[in-house]
Amino acid sequence: MKIDVNGAPVFVSTGGREFDPNGTVLLLLHGSGQTHLTWMLQGRFLANRGWQVLMPDLPAHGLSGGEALTSIRDMAEWCSDLLKQSGVKRAHVIGHSQGGLVGLELASTCPDTVASLALVATALAIPVNPALLDMAQNREDKAIAAMTDWGHGRDGHFHDATLPGLDQMNFGRHLMASNESGALFADLSACASYDGGEEAARSLTCPSLCILAENDKMTPLKQGRKMAAVLTDAREIVIPGAGHMLPGEKPDEVLKALRGFLPHPG
Amino acid sequence: MAGDYKFDTLGLHAGQSPDERFGSRAVPIHQTTSYVFEDSEHAAALFNMEIGGHIYSRLSNPTVAVLEQRLAALEGGVAAVAVASGMSALFLTVLALCSAGDHIVSSSQMYGANINLFEHTLSRYGIETTFVKPNDPDGFAAAIRPNTKIIFGEVIGNPGLDIMDVPKIAAIAEQAGVPLVLDATFNTPWLFKPLDHGANIVIHSLTKWIGGHGVAMGGAIIDGGNFDWGQNDRFPTLTSPHYAFQQVNLWEEFGPLAFTMRVRSEGMYNVGPCLSPTNAFHLLQGLETLGLRMERHMSNTQKMLAFLSAHEQIGWVRHPSLDDHPDHDVAKRLMPKGAGSIIACGVKGGRDAGRAFIESVELASHLANVGDAKTLVIHPGSTTHSHLTPQAMENAGLTDDMIRISVGLEDFDDLAADFDRALKIAGKSVGGSK
Repeated sequence: MKIDVNGAPVFVSTGGREFDPNGTVLLLLHGSGQTHLTWMLQGRFLANRGWQVLMPDLPAHGLSGGEALTSIRDMAEWCSDLLKQSGVKRAHVIGHSQGGLVGLELASTCPDTVASLALVATALAIPVNPALLDMAQNREDKAIAAMTDWGHGRDGHFHDATLPGLDQMNFGRHLMASNESGALFADLSACASYDGGEEAARSLTCPSLCILAENDKMTPLKQGRKMAAVLTDAREIVIPGAGHMLPGEKPDEVLKALRGFLPHPG
Repeated sequence: MAGDYKFDTLGLHAGQSPDERFGSRAVPIHQTTSYVFEDSEHAAALFNMEIGGHIYSRLSNPTVAVLEQRLAALEGGVAAVAVASGMSALFLTVLALCSAGDHIVSSSQMYGANINLFEHTLSRYGIETTFVKPNDPDGFAAAIRPNTKIIFGEVIGNPGLDIMDVPKIAAIAEQAGVPLVLDATFNTPWLFKPLDHGANIVIHSLTKWIGGHGVAMGGAIIDGGNFDWGQNDRFPTLTSPHYAFQQVNLWEEFGPLAFTMRVRSEGMYNVGPCLSPTNAFHLLQGLETLGLRMERHMSNTQKMLAFLSAHEQIGWVRHPSLDDHPDHDVAKRLMPKGAGSIIACGVKGGRDAGRAFIESVELASHLANVGDAKTLVIHPGSTTHSHLTPQAMENAGLTDDMIRISVGLEDFDDLAADFDRALKIAGKSVGGSK
């Protein structure tokens, strides 16, 4: 669906189903330079099993207009506005990478809004190599190539996928290239400068789940485990052989982990 | 792994993970029509394209999927769909994008069945085609209409060997908001990758160089994922609710994969030209050595060009790597490793001499195929392009004396001896050289 958030047109996939804000709402947040298609092989499944799914493209990403947001706090505030605009009072938030930081911040600043938090291939902080930041600003194509390379594990590099015929690495490159120029730099800058992850995690009172990738080069497993240790009562699942682009590379495992955590939609 | 694997490595490994249960190193042949569902929910999710997996081998198959993913990796596409033949690849591409009242701009110099599909078959269903010389970018620009849905051509035309200036035509297509679909059979991704030069969809007859052995038919559609289907309302098959799958909007829910999902969810569902798993296996065996074979194809082609150009019984030789070919400069720019292993030539003495030559070769085989490891010869005017009208033949650059040679991998000395002997017989048959 297309809605207006803070004066800009925003695309939010509802998984192809009509959205009911009074149901069990899931807010799925993509990572740096990505789009709602991060959740291509989970979102429609969940939407067709009774969950009310919101998978937005952040401003200047995918099919959304507007200017790219430049801080994790702005992104969390934007998510809060998006939920209000959609008539949602409470949502289960699922965030991949940067989306996890946004989820942590949203849960910390709007604890009544976040019913639970699933953190997928993320950490309390996501420091960004200055060389990558520089590439994102000046040679976005190179930054996309580097992130696609580092972001994938064995299956990605062997061009193997569960969706027949899909080339996950090339799909990832084109998906990132579809965003407005400058969106990736804004995202990476937001991640690099965010230092509120640990404080947000310590303040969390809702149930949480950490789905971590064994071979994650961007938010390494040990950083994910550190995050899980800080969270009160967090469940931790490590997906063997996977890289950072976990939802695309191991879609069935991520879906299974989410279903084991989320309350039944009723 | 730092960076993507290189061409020859991808040709051997892309798309496959050794299976967990048996560790099979070769790609197993999944000779099955159907797949057991975990439960009814799993079945429903697969049927509704919510998760990845296989339902029925008309739609997808694990062995075929390895081939598809390997081809996507080699061409730089986001996905591929492998089908029964190159012709079905072209037809399913049209089916995914065009409806009655739509229009195609196509190269005029192509394989005869391509031309007939556009001119005679699709026109019966209300899809009109304007034919343009492949090496005339301005002609393509002028032919585009508001209802044009595809710009199509063969990178290297069959059999005239015209070369499309892909970057130029891609820029025209992009400006017009129309996808550029290219048949890349004759160049293979080893010589030229159209998606890297602005094309949006690549199709192949896998029967040719990709297989290389001449034992299996197959075709493929490779989706570049680089076309903005949602830029306007020109492509309702991808941007409007699908009639099935709970009216999914493919552009919104699959983005760069929208075209592939339409091919899979309509072309394979409703038409069903599926590739057999055994043929996929054979084609994978060929694909593993594509790089190695292409090196030899190209070196033998260079030797054959020198041999034919110097032979007294040959009237003319056409190949894009020759200085006198009209598209020589384009070929040199786009395909520095060579412009394919097909050669067109005219045997002195016209059609009768040509027939005598074809019937006299012993190593080379007279048959209707190209890209085999073995050298092949044919007279296109009386075979592969014989169903064209005289005007279409003229448009396609076909002359009565034209012989098409698909240069194979034999020891070149043996090939030269075979051709020399057959050309001498051809000359004698029409009272030419002694």
